Amino acid sequence: MTLQKSVTTVEGDAGERQGEFETRHMRVNVGPQHPSTHGVLRLVVDLDGERIAAIKPQIGYLHTGFEKTMENRTYQQCVTYSNRMDYLHGFGHDLAYVLAAEKLVDARVPVRARRIRVILNELNRIASHLVFFGTGVLDLGALTPFFYTMREREKILDIFELVSGVRMNYGYFRVGGLYRDVPEEFEPMVRAFLAHFPRMMRQYEDVFVGNKIFVDRTKGVGVIGRDDALNVGLTGPSLRASGVGLDFRKAQPYGGYEEYDFNVPTSDAGDVRARFMMRFLELDESMKIVSQALDMLEPGPVQDPDRRISLPPRSELENSMEAVIFHFKLVTEGFHPPRGEVYVPTESARGEVGYYLVSDGGSMPYRVKVRVPSLINLQALEPACIGGLFADMVANIASLDPVMGDVDK
Amino acid sequence: MRDHATRNRATLESLFEEMGGRKSEIKGLLAYTLPSKRLVEVLYALKSAGYEMLSDIFGVDWLTYPGHPSSQSGGKRFTVAYNLYHLADAHRLFVRVELDEGERLPTATGLWRCANFMEREVFDMFGVEFDGHPDLRKLLTPEDLDGHPHRKDFPIGETPTLFNDGRYLDPASFRASIIGSDSGLTGWKGGARKGVRSDQELELVDQEVTGQPGGLAK
Repeated sequence: MTLQKSVTTVEGDAGERQGEFETRHMRVNVGPQHPSTHGVLRLVVDLDGERIAAIKPQIGYLHTGFEKTMENRTYQQCVTYSNRMDYLHGFGHDLAYVLAAEKLVDARVPVRARRIRVILNELNRIASHLVFFGTGVLDLGALTPFFYTMREREKILDIFELVSGVRMNYGYFRVGGLYRDVPEEFEPMVRAFLAHFPRMMRQYEDVFVGNKIFVDRTKGVGVIGRDDALNVGLTGPSLRASGVGLDFRKAQPYGGYEEYDFNVPTSDAGDVRARFMMRFLELDESMKIVSQALDMLEPGPVQDPDRRISLPPRSELENSMEAVIFHFKLVTEGFHPPRGEVYVPTESARGEVGYYLVSDGGSMPYRVKVRVPSLINLQALEPACIGGLFADMVANIASLDPVMGDVDK
Repeated sequence: MRDHATRNRATLESLFEEMGGRKSEIKGLLAYTLPSKRLVEVLYALKSAGYEMLSDIFGVDWLTYPGHPSSQSGGKRFTVAYNLYHLADAHRLFVRVELDEGERLPTATGLWRCANFMEREVFDMFGVEFDGHPDLRKLLTPEDLDGHPHRKDFPIGETPTLFNDGRYLDPASFRASIIGSDSGLTGWKGGARKGVRSDQELELVDQEVTGQPGGLAK
C-alpha cells in the first residue's frame, strides 16, 4: 500500500502558476506521524503567511474494517470489536452496541446490570476526558498536567481492571446484561475514587484550567458558531460549547439515564477554551451520576434470564439436558434475532455514537453501520482553523478530541 | 410545542405521500423511502422544518438478504439512508432512496457540509456516486484498492486482493514474505503447531502454503 494519498487531489494550485513566481500560498503537510495529531492523521494545509487558507484532513491510515468484520461474527462476539474503535471510551461504544442488539432481540436487562453499565460508562467518560486534558494541554506546550491527569486515570483503569480483567478493550458488556457481576471490592473502590477526585479537580484548576497562559492561548481561538457547528455535524461537548444543548442522555434517554439527576453544561463562546471547559464541567456531572447510581445499586441478577440469549448458569449444565442444548447452541451458533433494523443514539465522550443494525434472521448481523463522532467532528477543523494562525491549529485539533481509531473504523 | 411538532409532522407526512414515499416503522425507527429524483427537495423541506442535524449517511447492499426483491428481477440492490435529527422535538427520521448498480444520487453537501465525508464513505464502500459533490474521492480504503468493500460480493478472509495497478496481495505468499527463510532474532521459522504439547514432535502444517523450507519440524 502506498502511503502517498496524492496531494494533487486537493483543489487549488497553491504555490506555482505558469510564468510567475507565486509565493502567496505555501502548502504544508502535517502528519501522519505527528504527536499532536493524536494518532495517524494527515493534514494538508495551505498557508497564507502565518494564516491558514485551506485545510484538508486525509484519513484512513487506521482503517481496519470493523463494520465488515462484525457482519461476519455472531452478535455476542461483536462486543469484542465495538470497544476497539474508540479505545479511550470503550464502554461508550460497547453500550451503544449492546443497546442496539438488545432492542433487536427485545432483551430485558436487569436493573443492576443497567446501573453498573452507567457507572462504568461515566467513569470511562471521566478517564477519556482526563486523557483529553493531559494530551491537549501537552500539545500547547505544558508537560506537567499530563502527569496529573494520568495519575487519576490510572485509578479509574484499576477499577476497570478489577471488573473486566483488562485496562482497555474491556468486552465486559453482553447482549442482555454483563459478563458477570462486579466483585465486592468494586463499590468501596469507586467510593474512594469519588471522595478523592474533587480534590484533584481543584489541582487541575490551579495547574491549567485557570492558568493565565492557558487561558490566553485558548480564549477566542478557533471559534465555531452555532450554525457552523450544526452544518458540519458536530456533536458532543464540542457542539455544546457552540451553544446547542444537545446531549442524548437527556434528549433521548437510553440505558436508564432518565433515573439520574444531572445537568448539561453549555456555552455560547464556541472557542477552544469553551470546548475545554465543557469537558471540565462534565467531570462534575459524571461524578454526580456515578454517585447516584452507586447509591441505587442493589443486589440482583446481571444477565437477562432468557435462555435464548444468555448462557445457562454453570451449575445447571450437570443436571439439565435442556441447559446443555441451549449452551451448545449459544456457543456454537449464537442467537437469532428476528428480522428488522434498529438504531440507538448514545452520547459518548466525543459525541453521538449509534449502531445501525440490520438483522436478516441469522445469527450474525446483516449490516452494521457505526455512526462514529470523531470522523464527523473532524470536519469542524475547516470552520475552526481557516483564517486562524497555524500555531492554533494544534489547539483546534486537541479541542475536538479526535481518536483516530474512531475516525478510521 | 407538542402541538406545533405534531402539526409539523402532519405537513411532512402529506409531503411524503404526495411524492410517492413509502413509510415504514420498525422498532421505533421511522423511515420514508422516496424516489431519488426529489431527494434534495425533500431534504431541503426537512431542514426547513427543523431537522437541522444530518447525523449520518450510509448504504446497505441487499444482494444476499434472504427474500429481498433485489435477488429477483426488478428490485433495487442498494439503499442509501439519510439519518436526520430534529433538535427541538428530539425526533429522528430516516429518509431512504433505493438505487441500482450505476445509478447516481444528487449530493446533499449544498445543504449540510458534513455530508462531504459521509458521501465519500458511501462512495468508497458501495461505489454509489454523488452528482455535484465537490471532492468525491475514497475516504478510508487505500487509493489503489480495487472494489468497494461493503458490497456483499466483496471477498473476505484469505482471498487474494486485487489492487488496480495489477498487483495482487496473496495471503499465503504475504505470510511467507513476513516469515521468510531468515527468521531474524525470534528464531521462529514459520509453521504452525497442530494441538500438540511442547515436548511432542512438532508438525509443520503450512509448508506447502508458504513454500518456504524450515519450520519447527523435528
